[in-house]
Amino acid sequence: MSENRWLATGNFFTSYKDEQRIFLTHTDRLVFVCFLILMFVWPLIFEVSSKYMLVIDSILIAIVAVYGLNLLTGFAGLISIGHAAFVGVGAYTLASFARVLGTNHLLITHWWPLMILVAGGVGAVFGAIVGLPSLRLKHLYLVIATLSFQMIFLWIINFMRFFNQGQTIAIGRVFWFTGKVGRKDHYFFWYYVILVLVVILGFAVRNLLRSKHGRCLVAVRDNDRAADAMGMHPGFTKVYAFALSGFFAGIAGALHAYLWRGVGFESFTLHHSISYLAMAIVGGLGTLMGTFFGPVAILMLELQVEHIAELVGHYITAVGDVATAFRPLSFGLVIVLFLMFEPRGIANWWRITRSYFKLWPFRY
Amino acid sequence: MSYFFQLVVSGIVVGSIYALSALGFVLIYKSSKVLNIAHGQIIASGAFITYALTVFVGIHIVLSFLMSMVITFFLAMSVERIFLRRLIGEPIISVIMVTIGLMSIIDGIIYLTPFGAENFSFPEFFPKTPISIWGLSMSWTQMVGVVITFTMIGAFTWFFKKSTIGISMRAVSDDQFASMSIGISVPKVFGLAWATAGLSAAAAGSIIGNITGLNFDVLQSFGIIVFPVVIVGGLDSIYGAIVAGIIMGLIQQFASGYLDGKWGLFGTADVLPYIILLIILLFKPHGLFGIHEIERV
Repeated sequence: MSENRWLATGNFFTSYKDEQRIFLTHTDRLVFVCFLILMFVWPLIFEVSSKYMLVIDSILIAIVAVYGLNLLTGFAGLISIGHAAFVGVGAYTLASFARVLGTNHLLITHWWPLMILVAGGVGAVFGAIVGLPSLRLKHLYLVIATLSFQMIFLWIINFMRFFNQGQTIAIGRVFWFTGKVGRKDHYFFWYYVILVLVVILGFAVRNLLRSKHGRCLVAVRDNDRAADAMGMHPGFTKVYAFALSGFFAGIAGALHAYLWRGVGFESFTLHHSISYLAMAIVGGLGTLMGTFFGPVAILMLELQVEHIAELVGHYITAVGDVATAFRPLSFGLVIVLFLMFEPRGIANWWRITRSYFKLWPFRY
Repeated sequence: MSYFFQLVVSGIVVGSIYALSALGFVLIYKSSKVLNIAHGQIIASGAFITYALTVFVGIHIVLSFLMSMVITFFLAMSVERIFLRRLIGEPIISVIMVTIGLMSIIDGIIYLTPFGAENFSFPEFFPKTPISIWGLSMSWTQMVGVVITFTMIGAFTWFFKKSTIGISMRAVSDDQFASMSIGISVPKVFGLAWATAGLSAAAAGSIIGNITGLNFDVLQSFGIIVFPVVIVGGLDSIYGAIVAGIIMGLIQQFASGYLDGKWGLFGTADVLPYIILLIILLFKPHGLFGIHEIERV
């Protein structure tokens, strides 16, 4: 390790412990803390309309969901085209409590942190069940298993009267120490809750990847036979990756249900699964930073696409709904272009910029 | 009893179309190990091209059916050339992701055309009175569709067994390096596999369009039902795809004929294939006819 803990121009690691530190230099830590403070303080300073607050909250929820997908697809190398269904499992866990106990039961309104955890747990159980074929099979077949889970999930939601046949199930307003969270503060309140969760879960993922349990995911992704020889069970590792991803998805689902104060099937369709995948790819598979960039980029793009579609809609009125056409078109183009020209995602741009500033004024 | 046979007949009609759709899917998987998730979209575009040529342009249905097959042949070939050729040698994950991206792109393009929002139906080409033999009835459109489907399946089987191109395709699916060494151009074979898949998808799409009418969601769902079909049949078996297609059609018809309406169930035909898929994946992952050497973890 270099003497100066503020600036490091290269690798000076003398032990594995050094290499695994979360922050390499004090500058990194300082920047991170400043950024975090900024994230917590800005809503107090600027007045934001609840429409935009909702978008920001959705981005944060997507980040929680993409944590799970990135662990599964990026770090463990298993594609899932049913991630929205796992998010849906979390949301519908909450919805079933609401159906059985009533919309405004104490458990839902006062014990919501517990409910969020329970939703995560149920998501993990479902993830493990869908991951079970991975005890015998490799990735191509697992893609199909996740796809069929997506189909079965949607059918069950639309079929069962218990789930209101896909119609919205209402979730009551939650209570905080100061009393009921009202309509005015709703998005504001959930912004902080989700932000705290994003930070906690982010550190959890980072620490997981530093530990044996996270590194075995990467080992199985890179070469499962070698991992087997090192004493890991590749099949169980994959099931465990599915369970982890289900846990994050479940938490995201519960947050989604609380934020929208209701659960309906239309938020958990195949299109949403694909858009989660797009977020993970665009952000950068197998990087933690990518988990933050992807949802921001995709949801911002979606917002812009809606504006553009509105604009274009004024000129072209003859053909069908332009907005419904532009959304999949832009999604698809973004996925394909990123895979063809920047397979490592936005996280790679981040890495390049960072190393530029780190080494400045030298080129390398 | 005649109800049972009626279900069998309609099961075979639906199943043969599944078989034709699955054929193209298996073809791409067999030669290049790509799961083409955009297959449903190719089926839909084939159907829409046929409709546009028949109704908007006014060409005779037989001619436009053939033309749409040719157009989709070249469309699928160029898709392979533009998007997938670059990804040869990339990890399998990015290849699957690209087909997912393609699915979204084609979705978007179709939503831009009138076909995305509205439903169309082909004009009636055949007599409206259904054919009835021994109390079983079947419409002329279905009859002609089944005949075309079986003819095409037969033609494809001949193509793979006997023709030089078909044999070189099978060689590539068996061993790419060995086939390169005897002078087969592997990229060209990949392109041809996509093109043939596009051709069969267009045929399947046009037949579905004639039987059920043109609805984008319905046509698209034929691309997803392909997954249970190919898993039951074995991912890399052409015979498997044909047999499993017909089995799946029968299962769906029996499900909607006997299960729906009992115990408050409905729409079982939509979900049963996927449940069967999961069970097959757990217990017999190579399917009915698939090659047994699946790499186990």
